[in-house]
Amino acid sequence: MSKKKFNRAVAAAALIATVGSGLLLATPARATATPVTLTIWTFGDVIEPAMLRAYKVIHPEVTIALKKADLDPSMTNLTTSCAAYVQSHRVGSPPDIAAVEVSYSGYWRAYPQCFTDLRTLNTSSANAAAQSLVASSSNIAAGLNATDIKPNYLPWRWEQGVGYNDSVLGLPTDVGGLEVAYRSDLFKKAGLPTDRAKVSALWPTWDKFIATGKKYMTKVSAADKKKGIGFIDNVGTIYAASMNQGTYKYYKNNGTDAGQLLYKVKGKMPVYDAKTKKQKIDPKTKKPMFTTGWILNPNITKAWDYTIKANDAGIGTRIGQYTSDWNVGMTKGTFATILAPAWMMDYIKGQAPTTKGKWDIADLPGGGGNQGGTQLTIPAWSANKQAAWDFMNWYLAPQQQLTVFKTYGLFPSTKSIYNDPALVNYKDPFFNNAPVGKIYLTGIQKLKPIFEGKLERAIDQAIGAGLGRVAAKKQTSLQSQIQVLVDLDKATK
Amino acid sequence: MADIATKERSRPKAAPSPWKQKRPKKPGTGVASLNGKWGYLFVAPFIGMFLIFGLFPVAYSTKLAFYKYDPLSLDQAWSWVGLQNFKDILADETFWISLGNTFEIWALSTFPQMILAIGFAAILRNRFLRGKTFWRTILLVPNITSVIAVAIIFGQLFGRDYGMINSVIGFFGFPHIDFVENSFASHVAVAAMITWRWVGYNSLIFLASMLAIPDDLYESASLDGAGAWKQFRYVTLPGLRNTITFVLIVGTIGGLQVYAEPLTLAGTNDGGSSHQLSTLTMYLFNESFINIRYGHGAAIGILITIIVLIISLINFIVTRRVASEDKK
Repeated sequence: MSKKKFNRAVAAAALIATVGSGLLLATPARATATPVTLTIWTFGDVIEPAMLRAYKVIHPEVTIALKKADLDPSMTNLTTSCAAYVQSHRVGSPPDIAAVEVSYSGYWRAYPQCFTDLRTLNTSSANAAAQSLVASSSNIAAGLNATDIKPNYLPWRWEQGVGYNDSVLGLPTDVGGLEVAYRSDLFKKAGLPTDRAKVSALWPTWDKFIATGKKYMTKVSAADKKKGIGFIDNVGTIYAASMNQGTYKYYKNNGTDAGQLLYKVKGKMPVYDAKTKKQKIDPKTKKPMFTTGWILNPNITKAWDYTIKANDAGIGTRIGQYTSDWNVGMTKGTFATILAPAWMMDYIKGQAPTTKGKWDIADLPGGGGNQGGTQLTIPAWSANKQAAWDFMNWYLAPQQQLTVFKTYGLFPSTKSIYNDPALVNYKDPFFNNAPVGKIYLTGIQKLKPIFEGKLERAIDQAIGAGLGRVAAKKQTSLQSQIQVLVDLDKATK
Repeated sequence: MADIATKERSRPKAAPSPWKQKRPKKPGTGVASLNGKWGYLFVAPFIGMFLIFGLFPVAYSTKLAFYKYDPLSLDQAWSWVGLQNFKDILADETFWISLGNTFEIWALSTFPQMILAIGFAAILRNRFLRGKTFWRTILLVPNITSVIAVAIIFGQLFGRDYGMINSVIGFFGFPHIDFVENSFASHVAVAAMITWRWVGYNSLIFLASMLAIPDDLYESASLDGAGAWKQFRYVTLPGLRNTITFVLIVGTIGGLQVYAEPLTLAGTNDGGSSHQLSTLTMYLFNESFINIRYGHGAAIGILITIIVLIISLINFIVTRRVASEDKK
């Protein structure tokens, strides 16, 4: 081969290589497009269908099957699916992405074998290539793992998806936040201030909030009281709101999978008779017997006491949230306040469209607040981990979360857009043009990570039932606490 | 062409059917052998399904009842606990509450429903009733409605503050009834749902049985001077005795399985703040799938089976006594 010929051959090869790789770069999505079906298991409105349609435009090869269930059943399904994987090593069964609510995060953290450590996955070039197709879609570079995208997210929300060995089990979706939605027209009628700054100033603490409620109730006629008119929709919501303002709940982080259950460790509780459910009397001293018990967390006791105090003050309507009575009451003005996470604003708009402009948003008593939160996880048995990771990175990217916030009111978990004017200056005409973006932003930035233990959901339910019994006047606060202890004995055995 | 024709003609000889071949050789045994061997094939689909979905789960859950089973555990999923699951269940107050609730709901739904159903059937039997098919169809419509839809609609009817029933109660000046928190009222609400759904179905069963009572009996009764009520009391009711037993047994089995109605009304898996709406099946589901204690769930399943056996035994004794009364 002559030198000239050789040069020509090299040039040709180089040309082919350049053009070829250029073509590859131009159409990598098409070049690697093998049809994939991603199954996503969620509950509530964690995943917005409109966003899935947008993803379908960018990735025609990805079909997304969304399966919605109630929260508890969806966790049950995940348990069954993981059991099939752990016991029979079955791979490839659904789901490819599972939404896990924060009250279950402690439970799942004890079973890391069920999930893929998201640090081991790297984004493919699929999204980067598809970027050019849709202008509003943000750029997702190739080769990103969970550690790379961590700086984007709100730290305490990120921590809720992290296991003990620092493995990342899930990416945070929206942040709930928690503020008080109030009816300014009803406040005006009751002689209370209506301006949101003045309303916030009414209740720096929960005690003051209850006092305001009492004041409101003095203006409610006896006939209306009989009809069930109240200040807040359900006093039970005060419990969770107040509890979440602490840094731990029923468990303390002791570096183990489950955490240390702070139950019956110390504290003064009556000795109860299991059968009569009454306090035992010491046969010698004839005095009521006390022992160590209850949950050793002053914050839990405080939250319980606030709730009982609010209940005794008669400021709540006792309507269960998400019941038909609640939906009707929202329009009828049965209650003047709701403790509302950001996503609930959309629910209020949908259920009570005629109350537009009458609502406003004030600060939560006792500092910032949060309610719930969800992580998206990739189960260890998924057969489409790459596609799932690519999708999650796109769906939870700051740009997409901003779109979801504007359309559905879900507050973004990505702190990188917290100074975005679209978010900071966002006002909602339904809520009397309240600067919703700024209010929730201030609230969620006050929060610290809360340690979530293994059986938190079960304990929450036992205590919730206990508060319900007091509200329904079935038991006194003390009797109910005794019953809660019996239930906790069972739940934690 | 000719070749093919001859081939086709010769085919039966080349490959004779095994049946045709056997039949002339062993006359008499042909059909019997057919039953013996091919019979299995015909029942195989049922046997297969029964083994997979019937026998296997029963055997598996019987094993489960004696173990503590952690399905997500990597190393030790099964650990033998003997009778501990049963002890736990029997010591659990919720079990006894659920048992009581189940029977209360059963009694509140079965007996009024039976009286209503017999009443409807008596009306439908009326010779002069117009549009019989229409009324019969209307009666059956609730039965084909989804349980969940029924439960949601009734839940709205029974709403404490704005439910239609409480609006009526409030109109007459009585205090509103909390159909979720109040134990007895909540059972009435669930019983109302069950009654509404099943009364038409049972009416049709009673109607069929009433139509089987010969008209001569009524004619001779009226000749003897029996009015409508006496005819009903002394002709219709005795004729329905077996049907009543049947409806009672079916109703009892259904009553022990009540699940969707109380679940939807309570809104929680544990049946409300004091488990006032928890039934046996809800308790089973809650223990196995919410508290993830499969051993407990299996033990509850076995206890339910034992309860059904006891009730069946009582039914059997009562039915036999009724039958012997018939002979007298």
